[in-house]
Amino acid sequence: MNKIALIARSEYLRRVRSKTFILTTLLAPLLALAVVVLPVLMAAVTEGDTVRTIHIVDGTGQVRDALEEALPETYVVQRRTATPLDSLRAEVLDGRLDGYFVIPDGVLEGRAEATYYSRGGGGLAQQGTLRSAYQSVVRETRIRAAGADDLVLALLDARASLDTVTLSEEGDAAGGVIASSVVAYVLGLLIYVAVLLYGVMVMRGVIEEKSNRIVEVIASSARPFELMMGKVLGIGAMGLTQLVAWSVLMLAMSAAAGPVLALVLSPEVATTPGVNLPEGVDAADLPFDPNDLPAMLGSLLSPGLLLGFVGFFLGGYLLFSSLFAAVGSAVDQESDAQSLQLPIMMPIILPVFFLPAVLTEPDSAFSVFLSIFPFSSPILMVVRMAATTVPAWQVLLSFALLVATFVGMIALAARIYRVGILMYGKKATLRDLWRWVRTA
Amino acid sequence: MSRLAVEQVTKRYERVLAVDSVSFVAEPGRIFGLLGPNGAGKTSTIRMIAYITVPDAGTITLGGQPVGPATQQRMGYLPEERGLYRKLRVGEQLLYLAQLKGMTARAAETAIRHWLGRFGAADWYGKKVEELSKGMQQKVQFIATVAHDPQLVILDEPFSGLDPINAELLQDVIAELRAAGRTILFASHRMEQVEQLCDDLCLIAEGRVILSGALREVKRQFGSNTVTLAFDGGDAWVDALAADGAVQVLSRTAGHLTARLLNDTPSRRVLDAALAETTELYRFELHEPPLDEIFRMAVGQSKDQNIRASEERAMVSNSAASS
Repeated sequence: MNKIALIARSEYLRRVRSKTFILTTLLAPLLALAVVVLPVLMAAVTEGDTVRTIHIVDGTGQVRDALEEALPETYVVQRRTATPLDSLRAEVLDGRLDGYFVIPDGVLEGRAEATYYSRGGGGLAQQGTLRSAYQSVVRETRIRAAGADDLVLALLDARASLDTVTLSEEGDAAGGVIASSVVAYVLGLLIYVAVLLYGVMVMRGVIEEKSNRIVEVIASSARPFELMMGKVLGIGAMGLTQLVAWSVLMLAMSAAAGPVLALVLSPEVATTPGVNLPEGVDAADLPFDPNDLPAMLGSLLSPGLLLGFVGFFLGGYLLFSSLFAAVGSAVDQESDAQSLQLPIMMPIILPVFFLPAVLTEPDSAFSVFLSIFPFSSPILMVVRMAATTVPAWQVLLSFALLVATFVGMIALAARIYRVGILMYGKKATLRDLWRWVRTA
Repeated sequence: MSRLAVEQVTKRYERVLAVDSVSFVAEPGRIFGLLGPNGAGKTSTIRMIAYITVPDAGTITLGGQPVGPATQQRMGYLPEERGLYRKLRVGEQLLYLAQLKGMTARAAETAIRHWLGRFGAADWYGKKVEELSKGMQQKVQFIATVAHDPQLVILDEPFSGLDPINAELLQDVIAELRAAGRTILFASHRMEQVEQLCDDLCLIAEGRVILSGALREVKRQFGSNTVTLAFDGGDAWVDALAADGAVQVLSRTAGHLTARLLNDTPSRRVLDAALAETTELYRFELHEPPLDEIFRMAVGQSKDQNIRASEERAMVSNSAASS
């Protein structure tokens, strides 16, 4: 067997079987899911059990009853004779009352603004609940005042969202700009995290082999280049395995998450299929219909995009991990690597700062440049591919430049690595590394 | 049969001349001792033989073939600084290292099980390296060096960290390898081990060969000018002899003395003094100097020569300047 393949296989098997790998592969998607789901659950749970006593001062005389009806059951509206605003204020301040609406005469004609007074807090969910209840009541009252019947109201309430569809040669992608921006963001960040994570792993592996001295035994059996490439490819294969495992787990979990979420949020309707939204969130406010999520993801993640993702991830990984290997070879322990890492970290981190700009204007000259320039292309070309339709020549040019760059960088890194793995004791500087490149 | 020939090899690291025109030949079926103090250039020389680094000048051949990836397969190297993957199991680790030397997995496993058995460690196959003691790890590392049946075996301080029983076991194995016609390069600064094991030797200091040849020849060269005595009683007479410039004390403990005879002092003189002063004399022997003494003398001579050479150069340049 070819030595690079032999080393890569050993590296891959050793890592894939490790407890760390198995745990991170299984736990990371759970963690990601928890970050998304927990806040929704928490909001639903806490919103549900606080009972609030409020008062409504209605100057119009037409809103009060409808508003009481529209508010959730946890809002108890006191019925009492007119109370001066001063004493309402005092009651709120000493806690006997949670809050009160002041709805002056003229709000129905748009001449005045209603106000809700409370001791603050209650959070965004409460504000949203109050606002949407009030808005719909006022709107309905206005329309009824104008003499419209129930049919008109029903028509107005009917869903009227705008779906955007992206046309391309490969097929039309539903979901539009917001959804594809989310996908672009996620894919871009994923490449960033993966390149950094696995690159640092390569560096650690090199340092470990150097500090436990096995490197000298292996160097008497294989060329340093073979050792470096074997390690880089083995860890790369492990990374790809992990990414695939994560994708499968995430898909499986998001398929399962909808019904589970619905069960927790409103047990009585859990038998009806589809996702039920927490109260106060109007389906029409979301950029997409959550029930269409799986189908939509399918059309957003086209085969071309997935291919681009894998290709640019591997290209970026090869480019940076070989440099990480070179840095690892130059130091005896990880803490010494800080200053040498910086020049490698910068080009990985910087594109993330440009990510929002590229998302907003994916077709601008600046975005096109960044997506073709080899050090930023692994992240930003994938972002552009997800956000817009990138001309094929740009993708090919970008990828060709990336390949040329990583071939050059691997050659450079190998020269440093060859000298570095046998150097002990002295802390190498960037200048030392450059001298090794020239003399090796 | 693979003869190792090092010819005029030079290696420079930045401004330091680590190896300076070193030449020697290690024959199959013999143990060749590469000796020198720390920093003499032993490891640098070995790394070039193992094709880990490349010489700036000179050639190294194994069985007539210049060293390279092909010769790496035919040699095993036990570095002074031992290293194994701590988290890996013994069997898996040895299998990987043997496959890197070009063995098939099947042949490697057979060889590894054989060697583990030879070292009384057949049940270590599934153990993780970090569970093993230092001495056990050492044996595993030795197996990694010889499992692929190399023509050339390079052992850098192979006995360090071994208890006497295991050291003896290792000596036996090395003797077997020698009998099987392997070329063995044994690097050490422990002179008594070299004296016990080696057929040929090469002393290097500051990157240069200062002495080489068959062990017996080298010792003969330095003549029988050393006496060793074992006795009871006072040893003030030793000081008297030393003060006279008759002997130089090499080692001295209660009731034991090894000394070099200076200025053609007859050994009788030491014997007479000892007989007159001691209460009992168990042993008196005239013999060749021990290797570490030879080494010290050789290094001293080579330094003197250097100083003389540089003084001569200085004089030449002075006279050139004045003329």
